[in-house]
Amino acid sequence: MTSVKKSHGKSHYFQTHASSVGRGLYLGMAGWSILLAVIFVAPFGYILFQALDLGVSWDDNFANSLVPLRNTFLLGISVALSAAVVGTGLAWLVVRTDLPARKVWAIAAPLPLAFPSFVGAYALIAGFAKGGFLEELLSPLGIHSLPSVYGFWGAWAVLTFFTYPYVYLPVQARLSTLPATFEESARLLGRRPLEMFATVVLPQTWTAISAGSLLVFLYTISDFGVPSLLRYLTLTRSIFDNRLFDPPTAVAHGLVLAVLAFMVIFAERIISGRGLSEEGHLSGDVAYRQALGRWRWPTTAVVAGWLGIALVGPLVVMGYWVVRGFLNRGRITGPLVLSFDGIWEPARNTLFIGVVTALVTVFALLPLARLTARYRSRLGAVCSSLVLAGFGLPGLVIALAFVFWVLRSPLVGFYQSLPLLVLAYSLHFGAQATRVSETAVETMPQQLEEVSHTLGAGRLRRFATVDLPLMSPGLLAGGGLVLLSTMKELPITLLLHPIGFDTLSIRIWAAAEELAFAQAGLESLVLVGLSAVLTWLLIVRRVRL
Amino acid sequence: MNKLKLLLALAIPLVAFAFLASCGDDNDSSSQDGTAGSITLYSGRNENLIGPIIQQFEDATGIKVNVRYGNSADLALLIDTEGSNTPADVFISQSPGAIGFLNGEGHLRPLSASVLNLLPEDSRPADGTWVGFTGRQRVLVYNPEIVDVSDLPSSVFDLTDPSYSGRVGIAPENSSFQDFVTAMRINQGDEVAEQWLKGMASNNSPNYPKNSAIVDAVIRGEVDMGLVNHYYLLRVLDEEPNASGVNHYFAPDDIGSLVIATGAVVLNQSDAPATAEQLISFLLSSEGQAYFGSALKEYPLGNAAPALPDDLPPLPELTTAALNWQELGGGLLRTVELIEDSGIKQ
Repeated sequence: MTSVKKSHGKSHYFQTHASSVGRGLYLGMAGWSILLAVIFVAPFGYILFQALDLGVSWDDNFANSLVPLRNTFLLGISVALSAAVVGTGLAWLVVRTDLPARKVWAIAAPLPLAFPSFVGAYALIAGFAKGGFLEELLSPLGIHSLPSVYGFWGAWAVLTFFTYPYVYLPVQARLSTLPATFEESARLLGRRPLEMFATVVLPQTWTAISAGSLLVFLYTISDFGVPSLLRYLTLTRSIFDNRLFDPPTAVAHGLVLAVLAFMVIFAERIISGRGLSEEGHLSGDVAYRQALGRWRWPTTAVVAGWLGIALVGPLVVMGYWVVRGFLNRGRITGPLVLSFDGIWEPARNTLFIGVVTALVTVFALLPLARLTARYRSRLGAVCSSLVLAGFGLPGLVIALAFVFWVLRSPLVGFYQSLPLLVLAYSLHFGAQATRVSETAVETMPQQLEEVSHTLGAGRLRRFATVDLPLMSPGLLAGGGLVLLSTMKELPITLLLHPIGFDTLSIRIWAAAEELAFAQAGLESLVLVGLSAVLTWLLIVRRVRL
Repeated sequence: MNKLKLLLALAIPLVAFAFLASCGDDNDSSSQDGTAGSITLYSGRNENLIGPIIQQFEDATGIKVNVRYGNSADLALLIDTEGSNTPADVFISQSPGAIGFLNGEGHLRPLSASVLNLLPEDSRPADGTWVGFTGRQRVLVYNPEIVDVSDLPSSVFDLTDPSYSGRVGIAPENSSFQDFVTAMRINQGDEVAEQWLKGMASNNSPNYPKNSAIVDAVIRGEVDMGLVNHYYLLRVLDEEPNASGVNHYFAPDDIGSLVIATGAVVLNQSDAPATAEQLISFLLSSEGQAYFGSALKEYPLGNAAPALPDDLPPLPELTTAALNWQELGGGLLRTVELIEDSGIKQ
């Protein structure tokens, strides 16, 4: 396999980094990163404290974690792999080929991330389980029973549908900043599309794929909704099952989950080949587009089929709930009503909190990403691992840990206020910003930075005029992930939102809990619509398609 | 991109934050006599269900109730983690189990006799720490297109018969199911409960995470029947009148007909216990009780309960309101262990 030559000479032509960027800045970044580490270690400190406080024992609390541990690992790895394949493939097709209707796919592809998992999984079950819509659709064709949606395969499929955007977005961002020179050359050398994908595209997007897959893994191991609804016993499920009546077991399993998260984060750092990662190159040329030739329409069919299941399927089910509720609205008695009242304010709140969280998280973690990616700092790597691991714990654990520490800190006066809600979201979703930002920093051509320094540009100006524009696709991808995740987040929102600050996910949960599907469907459609508009504004519009 | 834009991008969240931080908390001052103009309620019961009656309370008394909704178990954990700092005055739980947990951790404040007296004598818990103000009955929901009426049992104990193998959906991690097993232990002993669980396990009863998922699966025809609380089906029929699901009630004296109380407690840390009790008393007043019966089709459990609506069978004899956890060996943890050890979980 011929691979693209990687330029890891961190430009010896110029001064060393420390002096070129300034010792003060370096120390500033290091100090900030230590502060971040202190914040991000909180959930793990809480789990350890509880473990010591409750007194966990191997026989009673750890021995029974082996089966869920095995399941968790198996599910996490499988979903990460399949999401990597789907996410990378879709991103390449959208950014680098002559696939028809690319703009449509570009908006649609990230959206399955917008479904709250409890409603999304419900909709998929309503669509594909026994007695569901698909079965009714297929029964005239003589197909009367579909394979069971429960167990490992169901959980694996549903999670892949909902998480591949974690890979898609970073890879799409990476591809859109990548010069097409190599692909051009490869094409001139007569490489076929698939060959070119393997030898040119894959090596250049490897860090982004790896980063995204790690996020998928962490999401999967910390998700409660899907494993619970589709009956697959993972560590997170057993934490929930034991949380009230057997706290030592819940805490012990939380500890196991945390260790698993750290081990995989460590492994990913090695696999992604941090030391050899490719640096970006300056190039103003228009992105290269691979002609799909006779594969153009079959490929389109596959893409449409995938999004048909992952996105359109759940949307159709939700739409059906709304229409059914609307038609029966005269009959609906009691307090359940289908109405648009009380949707706009939560929608506004959702939008506000999502945007603020995304901005705060991306900018707060940027210095850390720089420290880790540019300086290969060990301190940075440790801090970054802590940030990442926060995504591997269930939202409920993050929320309780947050409550535990805040009430023992000077911040107690701000308990259950909006700023602390944002902080708690960042604690959980920081991983999405940091890992993707690292990729953005790392792939930024360093020569440019140094040239601009040599030419005497001030630090802030350099950041604003050189660094930020170059990193922006990556930062937007990371920010976009945080945004979509925050907008649908539930457990942290429920426990920590200021009373009266309703969000769409709270409304959807309240309706779905009472089987008010019309209402839940309507609110979910608003949430997905809002997410679609934001995806277009922040991400799609900025990518040349 | 110019510098101005960047500065704006950085400044807007900061300004927003400063603004939000300044309007952080609006703690109300409470007076010495335990009353306050506003109280905080943590409710494990959904807003759709409890919101209207809270509104009525606010309108009637002028007292503002700040409500945080959530899952009963999660809110109980939140209260426990908040400890002495909890803003909550009152906690409403779907499940007596979450109340038992808070009781065990010492977070409950015994209620005054004036509140307890709103319950029938045999429904008052021995330590007087909580009241069950409304109840949902355990039923067997079934799909009439699949299940023949003559197949329906009169006792929940019949379900361990091999003829029900693989046909009865259960939710072993759900609090309603756990409460039901706890009641079975209290009522008939651990041995009986253990045997029943093992029977259901060897019948390979399909597992679901919660009641609503069972009702949904029964209607789709994925499973023939399932053990749930009565009102989920009633909600579904509201939206989908043709849904193929029917509630089957076990005999009134069968443990399968248990009524699971929605409970309310006043927390130890409340600085307005008198106002908190005022809210609980309102839930047990004739106004509150009428609401739960007619609007929600639940079983109002207070003395002031009106006659039941026509479409509900009479209140069965067993309610969790009367069950005293404290007398139970091994407590609720033992219930969870019995469920775990029976092999019923999939």
